[in-house]
Amino acid sequence: MAENFEQHSDVSATDLARLTQEAQAEATPSTAKIIWSEFKADKPAMAALFIIVGFILFVMIGALFINTPKMMETNIMAYFNQPFTADFWLGADSGGRSVAKQLIVGSRNSIGIAIGLTIISSTFGICWGLISGYFNGYIDWGMQRVYDFMMMLPMTMMIIVLVTIIPHYNSVTLTLIFSIFYWEGTSRLIRSRTLAESEKDYVAASKTSGTSNWKIIFREIMPNISSLIIVDCTLSFAENIGVETGLSYLGFGLPAQTPSLGTMIANANDPNNITQYWWTWLPAALEIIILCLSISYIGQVLRRAADASQRQGAAD
Amino acid sequence: MSLVEIKDLKVHYPIRTGFWNRITDSVRAVDGITFNIEAGETYGLVGESGSGKSTTGKSVVGLEKVTSGSILYKGVDITKKANRSRLDYNRDVQMIFQDSLSSLNPRKRIEDIIAEPLRNFEHLSKDEEKLRVLQLLDIVGLDADALYKYPHQFSGGQRQRIGVARAVATNPKLIIADEPVSALDLSVQAQVLNFMKKIQREFGISYLFISHDLGVVRHMCNNIAIMNRGRLVEIGTRDDIYNHPLHIYTKRLLAAIPETNVNQRMAHRASRLAVEKIYQEQQSKYYDENGEAFPLIQVSPTHSVALPETIAKQLASQEGEVQA
Ligand SMILES: Nc1ncnc2c1ncn2[C@@H]1O[C@H](COP(=O)(O)OP(=O)(O)OP(=O)(O)O)[C@@H](O)[C@H]1O
Ligand SMILES: [Mg+2]
Repeated sequence: MAENFEQHSDVSATDLARLTQEAQAEATPSTAKIIWSEFKADKPAMAALFIIVGFILFVMIGALFINTPKMMETNIMAYFNQPFTADFWLGADSGGRSVAKQLIVGSRNSIGIAIGLTIISSTFGICWGLISGYFNGYIDWGMQRVYDFMMMLPMTMMIIVLVTIIPHYNSVTLTLIFSIFYWEGTSRLIRSRTLAESEKDYVAASKTSGTSNWKIIFREIMPNISSLIIVDCTLSFAENIGVETGLSYLGFGLPAQTPSLGTMIANANDPNNITQYWWTWLPAALEIIILCLSISYIGQVLRRAADASQRQGAAD
Repeated sequence: MSLVEIKDLKVHYPIRTGFWNRITDSVRAVDGITFNIEAGETYGLVGESGSGKSTTGKSVVGLEKVTSGSILYKGVDITKKANRSRLDYNRDVQMIFQDSLSSLNPRKRIEDIIAEPLRNFEHLSKDEEKLRVLQLLDIVGLDADALYKYPHQFSGGQRQRIGVARAVATNPKLIIADEPVSALDLSVQAQVLNFMKKIQREFGISYLFISHDLGVVRHMCNNIAIMNRGRLVEIGTRDDIYNHPLHIYTKRLLAAIPETNVNQRMAHRASRLAVEKIYQEQQSKYYDENGEAFPLIQVSPTHSVALPETIAKQLASQEGEVQA
């Protein structure tokens, strides 16, 4: 069998190293390089990337040095302390608690929940959509009925009910509860693209090459919808920051003793705070705006990198 | 025994309509066809767009769920999935796809594309595998540079060669070539056809060569089947089909081959119009009351045509006179 190929081709084992080297010289740059050159070509996105990465690292590490229960103790002496003082950079709230420290711990909690939620719900939604779209027929039908049922449930109300009946919940349980309700949009989006992608001949070619269904789904089809996945994940991440924040703001998210961006913005519920004590809620609100804007910038660049025809970078 | 025997193959696609999404009708893409492919030969399957050629080809490689009928390979019915996996069927039967761009995964490097069947069917070491891929690239006339590139960096003709390289990678017995050159310009068509022939000689491969163009098929195939609306209307050797066509549909396809000799353009045009006129006027003679082709009737050991027996005999003897 191998002899057959030896006979009809001039290439033999001795040429292997040389030819491999030649090919490597002509190779197309790797995905990571393409993404990096895309960032270099887009200054605002580069800035956004640094802001996000720097900020996340800062709050994750910074929060380790803050003793949360101690920080959350009421300190009458510092009642609505003015900002920009030595002890209280961003002032203090009605309990005399440092806004700056709360902001760090709160950001860590909110971003942590958003990351966890994005990872769990997107992974689940992507798998659900891929499998449902690829295996047409009964499997798809069954999976879509489950989807329809989940969509029928009033999401916010269910979360509020669950949060109320579970006695001791923390960031982890909250993330899991949110995850039950946030995979549907992703799954529908991914399914529709998978349906179209499964029709293409390269999938048929993989089948005739003897590749198994699971490999076809995750190694052939998934890379081809990666731009959609990336965009959807970045948008979900921005949205998921809002989910926790919104519920905490309403009082159904994290418990009051656990600071989060939502509980901090909830300070704005008090008309006095809005006008006089702006430092209790404004930093958190600004932070959310900046985070969401930066994420959407980064998402755009990733999408361009994934889609060869839109690239601005020099490589390729 | 033939390499592949196709018996009364039918592929119907359900049409679902209405609120309950019930099956109300079906598209009969392939509707009862029978033919055999011999080892080492190139069998031509010709018909206009939508006649069910690709569907037939896909059924033979096992991509399409067949409604009824059988496809025997080495005496085993490979319309059943269990039989296909038991035989490692696709190691022996591969396909070159109609659309070369869509048949190559845009996210994979050429090396991974060509090596895919090797990885699944033959368990080679890394170096053996790379060597085989380089040899395959060499056989289809591409440089080693191609190894780490992506499909969009190649021209249509080059992509089709990559498709061919992938199809021959496991040294198969039969390759379904679905309009392998339809998307290419004439000079590149000739190149690709020539090296397909070369590969056939060297590796002893059979082709099921699908095309809508009798001009191309003439250079490739010894036996030809003409397909029309899911049925075969004429089967014969190259000589039977090109020199003694009996069915009006075959004549129409022949008339559609472009005439390259400028002096004969007018004559060619006239004969094409004449055939078209007969086709329009004599529908009832060549097709049954539902507009479908008749069952095939044998008029010579190699030649069959889908016509009622009397008409078939009459036409065959007329053809004979013309030849005499
Ligand atoms: N998945 C499908 N669902 C429903 N109908 C289909 C499907 N695939 C093909 N058909 C129908 O079956 C018929 C035959 O299609 P097929 O692709 O085999 O034609 P073809 O002879 O290869 O044409 P072409 O030369 O254009 O490639 C067409 O009428 C087509 O509309
Ligand atoms: Mg076709």
